[in-house]
Amino acid sequence: MPLELSIAWRYLAASRKRAHVAVVSAIAVGGLAVGVAALVLSIALLTGFQDRIRERLSRDTPHLLVTPARGADLPGVPALAAEIARNRDVSAVEPFVEGRGWITDPGSRTALPVRFRSDPAVADGEAAVAGAVAGQIGTGRGGEVRLVADRTRLTPLGAVPIALALKVASVSTAPPSAAQPEVGLSLSDARALSGGGGVSGLAVRLAQAGRAEAVRAQLAPRLGPGVRLRTWSETNPGLTFALRLEKILIFVTVFLIVVVASLNVVSDLALLVVEKRRDLGVLATLGAAGPSLSRIYWWLGASIGGAGTLAGAGAGAAAAWALDRFALVPLPADVYLMSHVPFALHARDLALVVAFSLSAAMAAAALPARSAGRVGPAEALRLSR
Amino acid sequence: MTPLVRASGLSKVYGSGAAAVRVFENLSLEVAAGEFVAVVGPSGCGKSTLLHLLAGIDSPDSGFVEIDGVRMSSLDAAERAKLRNERIGFVFQFHHLLPEFSAAENVALPLRIAAVPPREARRRAGEILERVGLSGRAAHFPSEMSGGELQRAAVGRAIARRPRVILADEPTGNLDRANAERVFLLLREVQRESGGSVVLVTHDAALASRCDKIFSMSTQGIAQGTAVETSGGIGNPDV
Repeated sequence: MPLELSIAWRYLAASRKRAHVAVVSAIAVGGLAVGVAALVLSIALLTGFQDRIRERLSRDTPHLLVTPARGADLPGVPALAAEIARNRDVSAVEPFVEGRGWITDPGSRTALPVRFRSDPAVADGEAAVAGAVAGQIGTGRGGEVRLVADRTRLTPLGAVPIALALKVASVSTAPPSAAQPEVGLSLSDARALSGGGGVSGLAVRLAQAGRAEAVRAQLAPRLGPGVRLRTWSETNPGLTFALRLEKILIFVTVFLIVVVASLNVVSDLALLVVEKRRDLGVLATLGAAGPSLSRIYWWLGASIGGAGTLAGAGAGAAAAWALDRFALVPLPADVYLMSHVPFALHARDLALVVAFSLSAAMAAAALPARSAGRVGPAEALRLSR
Repeated sequence: MTPLVRASGLSKVYGSGAAAVRVFENLSLEVAAGEFVAVVGPSGCGKSTLLHLLAGIDSPDSGFVEIDGVRMSSLDAAERAKLRNERIGFVFQFHHLLPEFSAAENVALPLRIAAVPPREARRRAGEILERVGLSGRAAHFPSEMSGGELQRAAVGRAIARRPRVILADEPTGNLDRANAERVFLLLREVQRESGGSVVLVTHDAALASRCDKIFSMSTQGIAQGTAVETSGGIGNPDV
């Protein structure tokens, strides 16, 4: 063990016998622990909700969308689909047709602009409609709707709209997005509305949604420049950005508690520099250089920061686990689509909290450490007489 | 022959302006290898300040100090610290053992500072404690030891690195006659064995008279002579 570390630990151990130092040290460690626990819990709470949103999103939307780089139809679909299917992360590849139109109730009293896309789960003559759209046009499961394409068909009587009467097979609760249009149809119905025989793109599902970036990187060079590959995060840029921003803002805001707690570390170490001034003078007389004296206080900062951070991280992680495992914060399931407040703590988030908290404690130790390294030994010995 | 300790033209002032206090001016002394010298003088004449300057833990306002031919002012802070660790042992009036460390750990401090591995440092500290008659006190903390034992442990710490120079600032000032004698004999013995030098600041005229040379300090300067020549005398700076 380095000499500076053993001195630091002796100081901490001995501080228990000196009430004023013990109190300030306890406040420093306790403050950090509370701050870190609050940060861990906040991040776990946010991650719990965000994981549910992502989980739902990844369940309802393709993980990768393969679309033409130019034009409306994807060329060479069978060869592309075969190439994509060879990737071991890919669990399904489905061609899709998409377009735009208006959805109306059978009486055509209300019309809403919508996007539609073929969905292999939807049978011919049926439609899966987003909840928000269904609500606006006053329909529900088993109801009837009309879908009118944004193009017309030429007849001897002139241009007439292309329209389909469809039965609502399901009403989706997932929020509409670029990757999940408001209306899902069978492939043949979608083709009938879009008026072509081609395919708009390929919807790829993966065994693990989190592998989307990696699979995109693997597929891109194989599929060539004629196609565009977008992950499910990219097809929902607004949501992804909002989730990330929310997490950053919560982290920064709650981290301020840790920063304030770190100020206690400054006062604790400053007190120890004054109290141990004579010892610093003695050590300098014995041949310890300034940087070595500074290291004692770096180690003290690291020890106090480490103790507070570990205690806080442990308490926060345990609390998050218990709150989630035993569903201790219930929610009305019919309103929030979940029965309790979810908490989820990812190892990366925990590591980030620990790293930031330790950094704050070390930054707090900088000033006292610098001050200790500059103690004039003769002056220290003279003043301590 | 180059003296082991050489100070030339030393001046030291504390404070500045109207509050300035001149401790001494143009002070010079030389101590050869193998010499055990005493520095005597009234309180406030700057004896401790002189030791601090010789140890390189304080800087003179003018003049210079050389230890074993190395001029202190030519070294940076880290080099001065290294030189102190390797060649100078310092014994304080109030032992100044670190209260959180046992006697053995205190004695091992200079070795640990010199990056001697802990196990080896502990072994050598044990030998030194035996040498100063404290082998049974190795695991005891300063709060559990008597004044004489503390000062002997402090001497042990000062000799841990086998320094060429030992600077002792009234090491017997707080001890009874028996313990003072024991500490003095210990320093004498260590100095004879090592062939180095000891500079002993003391108020004890009897102890000073048993040294090879006495430097008598006053507010006017420092005088040098044998014990008989300078006892109670105040010299001039040019001697």
